[in-house]
Amino acid sequence: MSEAPNPDAAAVARFRATVVPHLDAAYGFARWLTRDPVLAQDLAQEAMLRALRYFHAFRGEEARPWLLRIVRNTWSDLRQRRGGADQTLDEIEDRPADGPDPEQNALVSDRRRHIASALAALPADAREILVLREIEDLSYKHIASVLDLPVGTVMSRLARAREKLAAELAGRLGRRGHGLPDL
Amino acid sequence: MDCPTCESMVDAYVDGELSANESADFERALSQCPACRQRLEAARELSGLLRALPAEPAPDLLRARIERELREIAGRPWQRARQMAMAASVIVALGVGWIGGSLTTPGARETNELLAGYLRVSMSDSGVEVASSDRHTVKPWFAGRIDYAPPVHDLTAEGFPLLGGRVDLVDGRKVAVLVYRRNQHRVALTLWPSKSSTGTTPDFEERDGFALASWRRGGFEMHAVADLSPAEMKGFVAAVDQAIAADR
Repeated sequence: MSEAPNPDAAAVARFRATVVPHLDAAYGFARWLTRDPVLAQDLAQEAMLRALRYFHAFRGEEARPWLLRIVRNTWSDLRQRRGGADQTLDEIEDRPADGPDPEQNALVSDRRRHIASALAALPADAREILVLREIEDLSYKHIASVLDLPVGTVMSRLARAREKLAAELAGRLGRRGHGLPDL
Repeated sequence: MDCPTCESMVDAYVDGELSANESADFERALSQCPACRQRLEAARELSGLLRALPAEPAPDLLRARIERELREIAGRPWQRARQMAMAASVIVALGVGWIGGSLTTPGARETNELLAGYLRVSMSDSGVEVASSDRHTVKPWFAGRIDYAPPVHDLTAEGFPLLGGRVDLVDGRKVAVLVYRRNQHRVALTLWPSKSSTGTTPDFEERDGFALASWRRGGFEMHAVADLSPAEMKGFVAAVDQAIAADR
């Protein structure tokens, strides 16, 4: 992306009105990408600051996919930058971790915990596309722009991701009839 | 429509990506194809399960950190580098506190909680639950919310107008937080009853760019946090002490 002019007070005010309302979405996506609550905060903050730096290039498209794309790019940069040197990230990526911790809420059922951990256990490309589609509720077109992929690839990758999730869930919960877990 | 065709449309149908005509065609085909009806059921169930996962909103502290960055960038660009460094170290400290859990010493955890509480009142007006410069409004507001009556003073004459108060949690206990203003900065004074009635000399500390003061006065444990210079923080503590002494 291009070299940014320093944002002034007016730009910050516009940013506050346009982009900051999507902080929950940015954090939620970061939470599933990193699978770690502390790292997710760092990622969301870094992405927000980066978004502000690139805000001059924002042309009134929808802000949420635009921000989520920055979250994802920031995450790949962060991993590349630290990759090798920083074992923590690899360990986090390799360990079968939970997503947003459902145990924090005593009322959340076992079933939800199984679903969250099945999603968290998926490989990154399956996980991110499912989160964008089902949790962030983005259209194929917006998913394509976040992931920088053609729409056709989004569709095939989403189909594969769903199969993987169904298999993962079935593995955790046992099968019923046509393949969905018996919940 | 043959089955492979309707099968290929199941996902797009569930995702709301078919045109009205395509949807109608698909629905007609579905009535002839029990296998695809089952696929549709399964796809809907899977989607519903994911959508039922509880969303985790951005933590207050993250929101506060971003707010702070934005205010600094909009207002005082020359301070930005210092603020970034500060925000980074606060988050490291708080992060360690959270991860460490019971490993963290009680004192450090208390300081973290005080800092987090300060960020809540300094970042947004919603952090101040009772907004009033009138001590006779602020003091009764605490009745029924916490189990003690904190001494509340307006320090406008000393350059620290009262903004209001809130209830926060420190070490699992509900405590009173009084919020004062110094120019564009806010001061959070957290106080709770002490076991001892003897006053102590204030203990000043600087942490991550914040000034902290801890002391005991009038039977209360007092903790002040602000993004003020150490000298201004001393001025604040002196003003509080003076007001409490005047009560006697």
